[in-house]
Amino acid sequence: MKGNERAMIVNLKDRITTSQAAVVLVNYILAAGILTLPRTSVEKVKTPDVWITVILGGLIAIMAGIIIVKLSQQYPKKTFYQYSQELLGKWVGGLLCLLIVGYFFTLSAFEVRTLSEVTGFFLLEDTPAWAIIMPFMWIGLYLIMGGINPMARLFSLIFPISVVVFLLVAFMSSGIFELDNLRPVLGLGIKPILAGLKTTGLMFLGPEIMLLLVAFMQQPDKAVKVILVGVSIPMIFYVITVVMVIGALSVDGVVTRTWPTISLIRSFEIPGLFFERFESFMLVIWIMQIFATFTITYYAAALGLAQLFKKNIHPFMYGLIPIIYIIAMTPKSINDLFKFGDMIGNAALLLFGVMPLLLLIVSKLKEGKHETET
Amino acid sequence: MKQRHKNVRLLFRFLSFLLLLTLTGCWSQREIEELGLVVGIALDLEKDKSLEEALERNENRYPDKALMTITNQLITSETTGAGKKEGKSQQKAYNNVSESGDAILPVLRNMVLRSDKHLFAQHLKVIVIGEDLARTVNLNQILDFFLRGQEVRPSSIILIAKNRASKTLESKEPAVIPALHLIQISKGQERTTKILPPISLGKLSGKLHSESSFLLQNVSTKNGEVKFEGASLIDGRAKKLRGFLNEKDLEGITWVTGKGKGGLVKSLDEKTGQLIIYEIESMKSKIRPHVVGNNISFEVNISSEGRIAENWVVSRKVSENEFLKRAEKVSKKEVERLVKNVLDKTQKEYQADVLGFGDRLRIEYPKVWENVKKDWDQTFSKIPIKYNVKLTITDYGTSVLNK
Repeated sequence: MKGNERAMIVNLKDRITTSQAAVVLVNYILAAGILTLPRTSVEKVKTPDVWITVILGGLIAIMAGIIIVKLSQQYPKKTFYQYSQELLGKWVGGLLCLLIVGYFFTLSAFEVRTLSEVTGFFLLEDTPAWAIIMPFMWIGLYLIMGGINPMARLFSLIFPISVVVFLLVAFMSSGIFELDNLRPVLGLGIKPILAGLKTTGLMFLGPEIMLLLVAFMQQPDKAVKVILVGVSIPMIFYVITVVMVIGALSVDGVVTRTWPTISLIRSFEIPGLFFERFESFMLVIWIMQIFATFTITYYAAALGLAQLFKKNIHPFMYGLIPIIYIIAMTPKSINDLFKFGDMIGNAALLLFGVMPLLLLIVSKLKEGKHETET
Repeated sequence: MKQRHKNVRLLFRFLSFLLLLTLTGCWSQREIEELGLVVGIALDLEKDKSLEEALERNENRYPDKALMTITNQLITSETTGAGKKEGKSQQKAYNNVSESGDAILPVLRNMVLRSDKHLFAQHLKVIVIGEDLARTVNLNQILDFFLRGQEVRPSSIILIAKNRASKTLESKEPAVIPALHLIQISKGQERTTKILPPISLGKLSGKLHSESSFLLQNVSTKNGEVKFEGASLIDGRAKKLRGFLNEKDLEGITWVTGKGKGGLVKSLDEKTGQLIIYEIESMKSKIRPHVVGNNISFEVNISSEGRIAENWVVSRKVSENEFLKRAEKVSKKEVERLVKNVLDKTQKEYQADVLGFGDRLRIEYPKVWENVKKDWDQTFSKIPIKYNVKLTITDYGTSVLNK
C-alpha cells in the first residue's frame, strides 16, 4: 500500500515552505476579477463605500480559509482527495472529489477565456483566440509537469514584479484622483455595504486551494498564517484598486465602464514621459496572475483525478487540456462569460463556504467517537 | 534501442528549428510608416443641403438623422519631417482629413476609401465638438463610439468650439500641430482663473451618467488663431449645450470652486481710481451646506493669499499697512462681485448647478441629497447662498515705493 501511495502522489517529497505557500495563495486569488471588481461591486453597493465591502469580503474569506485549514490539518500529509473518502466513505467522498475537480478545471477554463477576451480586445487585436490560448495552455502544461515546487518558485518570481508594477501604475493615477468621489463614508448606512458582500467575497476565491496545499507544506501547523498573509495581500491590492478607480472615475463613471481598472490606467497621461500606454504594463502583470491561477487550478484538477483513480498524474494533465479548451470556448459572448463567472462563484460558495464547515464538524464528531471507543 | 534513441533526438533537433518561426515577431504588428496617428478629432453639425442630398444618393444614409462632419488630425511619417524650419518645404506638420455622415464609425471607415494610412487613435489628445452639434445632439450619443471603442484613450480632453470645430484644428504656422497646441493652452490653468481644469473623456463618462449639469471649456477661432474663451454649460438631463459662460463668469466659478492654481484680480483703488493687480498665490474655497428642516442653504467661504503684482497708484508707499488693507479691500470687493455675478447667472439665468453645490450636499447630507437629487437643478435655483471672501496680501514684490 505504501509503495502504491508514493507512486500516485507524484512525489510527495516535493514540499514547499510557508512563504512559498503564501505566495501561491496570493497568486491564486489575484486573477481575472481585478479588472472588473470596481464595476461589479459598485453596481451592487451604489455608494463609494465599496472599499469597506472589499475589506469585509476579505475577512469572510479569511474565516472560510481558516475552517478549510483546520479541516485539512485533521489529516496530516493528505490532500482532500485522499481524506474525503476516509471521512465520507468511498462513494460520497468520491463524488465530492469529482465535483471539486470539475470546479477546478472549469475555473481554469474561465481564466483562460477571460485572458483571451481582454488581450484580444486591448493588446492583440488581429490575433485569433486560439493563437492566444494555445501557447498559454502549453506553457502551463510544461510548468505543472514539474509538480508543485517549480510552480511555487515561478510564482515567487512573478509576485514581486506584480507588486512593483501594480503599485507604480496605481500611484501614477493619483493625478486624476479626487477625494470627493470617495465621500461620504457610510453616507447611507451599512445596508448598501452588505448588498455587495457576496460580490467582493467571491473576489477572494482561492483559500480552497488549502484543501490540497496543506499536504504539501513543510510546516502544516503554520497554514493559518498562510491564510492570513495570503488573503491580506490581495485585499490590499483590491482596496487600492477600488479606491483609485472610484476616486478617478467616480461612482457614476465606474458603472459605465466594462473594464474600469483598464479605463483608469488609460485615463491619465504623465506629462514629459515619453511613454504613454501604461495599460500594457498592467496587462502584462495581469496576464502573469491569470497564468498563475490557471496553472494552480489546472494542477489541482489533474492531481484530484490522479489521486482519485490512483494513477500516474501525467496522462490526466494531457487529457485535461482539450477539455479545458472546449469549456473555455463555450461562452458565446462577453455576457455569457460574465454569467459563467457568476456560476462558478455560486458553486464555490456552496463547495467551499458551506461544505468545509460541515466536514469539519463531521470529522470532529468522528474523532470524539473514536476517543470514547478507545 | 540505442539507435532509436538517436533517431528521437534527431527528430527533436529538427523540431526545435520550428521554434525559429516564433521569433519572426508579433502577430498583430503594424508598421509605423503605415499608421496615421490621430491626435485630434473635430465634430461638426453639417447644415449644407446639397451635401446632404449627395450623400443620400451615394450611401444608405437615413435622411432624418443629423449629419456630421468629422475631421481627423493625422500625424504620419510624411508630415513628421515637414514643417521644420530648416527645410524649405512649406508642407504642414499635420494632415486634416474630413468626411461626413450620420454616425461616427461609418464615417471613419469611409476614410479608408481615400487614405493609405491605417488610422490609429491610441495617442488621441483632444476631441473638439462644434457648438451646433452639441446644441442639437445628446453628448452621450455623440461620444458613445469614443467611450465604447478600445482604441480611443479616455485621457483625451473634450472641448467645445464656438462656431466650427474643424477650424480649431487648423493653424497658420505649418510647424504647429493644432491639437497639441490646444493641449498646451489647457495647461495654462496655473496662471489664470479664466480656464477650467481640463475634463477628460474618462471623467466625462461619469458626469454624463450622473444627470448633473457641468461645464466644458470653450475654444474659439479668430483670424486663424485659437483662443480659450469661456465655457459651455451642458444640461445634465438633456446632455446638450444650454448656453455659454464668458471669461468673467469663469473667474467667478474658479473662485467658488476654489480649484484655481493662480491668476489675477484686477481692481480700482477707491481713492485714486487707479489700477491695483493682485496675484493669487493660493486659493481655497469651502462650500458648507446647512439643512434645517426642509430648508437647504449654502455658505461659501473663500480665502486666498497673494501679493501685489502691479500697482498704478502713484506716490504711495506700497509697504504701508494702511495701503495694503485698502488694496485687500478693493480686491476682495472685486472677487465678491465675480462670485455674485456667477451665482446670479447659474441660479437665475440657467438654473443649473455647475459649481459643485450638489456634490457638497451629497457628501455632508447624503440622505437629504437622495431626496432632492432628482430635481436638483430646479431646487438649486431657489436656494439662498451666502459667501464670505477673505484675501490676504502677504507681500508686494521687489519694489516698495511707486513713484
